[in-house]
Amino acid sequence: MKWLFGGSFVVLLLLSCAAWSIRPVPEAAGKIPLLWVSDDNPARREQIGLFNALNPQYELRLDPNNQGMEKVIVQSIAGVGPDLFDCYDGFQLSAYARSGIAWDITDKLKESIDFEKDVWPAVFPNFVLDGRAYGFPTNVCANAIWFNKDIFEANGIPYPAGPWTWDEFLKVAQKLTVREGRRVKRFGLLNDWWNWRQFVIQWGGEVYSRDGTRCILDSPEAIAGIQFLHDLMYKYKVMPTPAEEAAMATTGGWGSGTITVFADGKGAMALGGRWWLCTLRTVQQNKKEKAERLRLGAVECPHGPYRVFRGYGRATLVNKNSPRREEALQFTRYEAGEPYNALINHQADALAPVKPYSYTPGYLHDPAFPEEDFNAVWRDVMQYAVPDHDSPFINGQAASRILDRQLDLVKSDEKPVADALRAAAQELNEEIQKTLQRDPELRVRYEALAGKKR
Amino acid sequence: MKGRPNDSLAAAGFLLPNILGFLVFTAGPLVFSLAVSFTNWNLQRTIPFRVSGPENYNELLHDKQFWLFFINTVYLMLGMPLCIAGSLLLAVLLNQRLRGMVAYRTLFYLPSFTSGVALMILWKALYNPDFGPINALLDWCLQALRLNDLLQGLGFHALAPPQWLPSTDNLLGLVPQEIRISGSKFGLGAREALIIMGVWIAIGGNNMLLYLAALTNVPQELVEAAQIDGAGRWKVFRHVTWPQLAPTTFFIVVMSFIGSLQGGFDQARVMTNGGPSGTTTTLAYYIYTKAFEEFQIGYASAVAWVLFTVIFAITLLNWKFGQKELSY
Repeated sequence: MKWLFGGSFVVLLLLSCAAWSIRPVPEAAGKIPLLWVSDDNPARREQIGLFNALNPQYELRLDPNNQGMEKVIVQSIAGVGPDLFDCYDGFQLSAYARSGIAWDITDKLKESIDFEKDVWPAVFPNFVLDGRAYGFPTNVCANAIWFNKDIFEANGIPYPAGPWTWDEFLKVAQKLTVREGRRVKRFGLLNDWWNWRQFVIQWGGEVYSRDGTRCILDSPEAIAGIQFLHDLMYKYKVMPTPAEEAAMATTGGWGSGTITVFADGKGAMALGGRWWLCTLRTVQQNKKEKAERLRLGAVECPHGPYRVFRGYGRATLVNKNSPRREEALQFTRYEAGEPYNALINHQADALAPVKPYSYTPGYLHDPAFPEEDFNAVWRDVMQYAVPDHDSPFINGQAASRILDRQLDLVKSDEKPVADALRAAAQELNEEIQKTLQRDPELRVRYEALAGKKR
Repeated sequence: MKGRPNDSLAAAGFLLPNILGFLVFTAGPLVFSLAVSFTNWNLQRTIPFRVSGPENYNELLHDKQFWLFFINTVYLMLGMPLCIAGSLLLAVLLNQRLRGMVAYRTLFYLPSFTSGVALMILWKALYNPDFGPINALLDWCLQALRLNDLLQGLGFHALAPPQWLPSTDNLLGLVPQEIRISGSKFGLGAREALIIMGVWIAIGGNNMLLYLAALTNVPQELVEAAQIDGAGRWKVFRHVTWPQLAPTTFFIVVMSFIGSLQGGFDQARVMTNGGPSGTTTTLAYYIYTKAFEEFQIGYASAVAWVLFTVIFAITLLNWKFGQKELSY
């Protein structure tokens, strides 16, 4: 027995030595390592490559495995978090700031850019909280309508032109929807359900009151907006229902889901952002190799009673607990500069965060992609883009789960829109009250706002 | 028997790493989570830490979502009897002395050593409502048997294959987001999809191995005595084999209850995100979302301890009533 244990010990010791000798080299000698938690895709790697090339003293690396707010917060509080991490909305920013891991860089940022003037306002909630900046936007976007030029031409329908209303859109979408028995061969519109907020704001509704103290999703305006979205599926039948969506084998994520379904010609039009191009260009290239083609057009998204569009984007925040936070600031400076913004516009990873860089001839007509004649559309819709207006008095994840539970029922036509939105508003308002009971700091803010109203 | 002092030291030395690991990584966090469940601990630093006593438990009793997810957890356990019966049947079949039996055993055990996530993605494709093979088969059956013509001839609605994962229908007619039953919700939906997948994975898994091992231990003299007395194959199984398998069945039932009550996380995370409309969210997934998405560590710990209490109580009941069946 003792030989067995002794032998095992020696083997383990040798294996440990072997593992030590082949361990990954932490960083190039003399370079300052920086870790960025973000998603992995070719565009991101190119952005990192450019940073490293422009800043040879740094070695920025990507960590795609620790994405997710919960991981970032827990790891950063424990002292093993990344130097830089992504933030997708106002709730996340608030959670990061309230967890004490987002670093207020307002004054340092102002040394390199007047962000209040030069950054698209639609992305402000992702990095500015109560007037203080905690990072810098990575990109920004508002959705428009992608359309397949070949499908329009084959059906003898002229290309759409904006601004236009949903009623005008419907006439076109109905002509382009093709059914074969029980199945739909092609839809007039493909749309990810998460765009539902756009319909709410276009009908004059909001999810929360302006001061955030109350959910007002049960307002007639919000109900009308969601009702129209529902009708696109079940009344006008120009957009896939959840079952039809599942049948089209959408899987979501980078380079898949609705984008590939659209690229396959299963939709004549699709509501999406400029960032779709990252995938669509690859599809175009693949088709070209097979002597096929995908000719794209883009037009402003139709509007309801109000001509507004939902703006969204992503920001990179600096970890307050990072020992290299001063060095990580260099990345936000890079994001505010010309090389990065030009790269974003060239890659079509949405739109560059700094406005002036989208008003250059190079942006409008990228010589590498001469057939892309629609770049002005993305810039123009940004003028009408508004960010999501969320409540600081509710946890965003809890709110999104409550909303999903009710909107799932609307989406699958199991509950009338008005009933579902009333139930959601009631649950959200109850959750706000629960949050206030838990958080005395928020309660003080809430009471101050509620007092003002009285 | 009294060992030499050196032997005791050696034994303690060998046991120490394991005990230390258990204390640091299991017992410690367990006790810690119990303590935390009586606090308002939240990862957001703006919420001051305080000992809240039984507040979390009180809130939990009035938390409608907790009860809805508890019902989901129990509902998903409906597949458990099928899993156990299927494992036994498979073990009996694989216990035959036939050529190539090892290959068969390996094949049936394959799902157990395949990555769970890969299996779930595979099943997601199988459940595709329009192009998935399951609905293709059901569609074919409906057409081949002319069932819909028959039903419509009788004045009933035509049948259509289920929508599976996007559907909130279920066999008990439970209404989503409410604690009530309605005939309009009757059907096959996401919950049943998860149950069927769970049964498929479990049938050829560890339960089958346990039954196989138990079957090889059934004394042959008892089987032969029964056969000499004129018992057929069914009577031999019913009166000899099955009673001999009772301790194994008891162990499997206890472990299945524990596993099922703790389960549902992977499926919710990979296949459904807990939806549609929360119908596949189990308590395990709820604990995760409360702790790591809403940062309410105290509340999540309270849910975890209530779940532990339920599991413990059911296990005690199993012991109390199950042991009566073990008197062979």
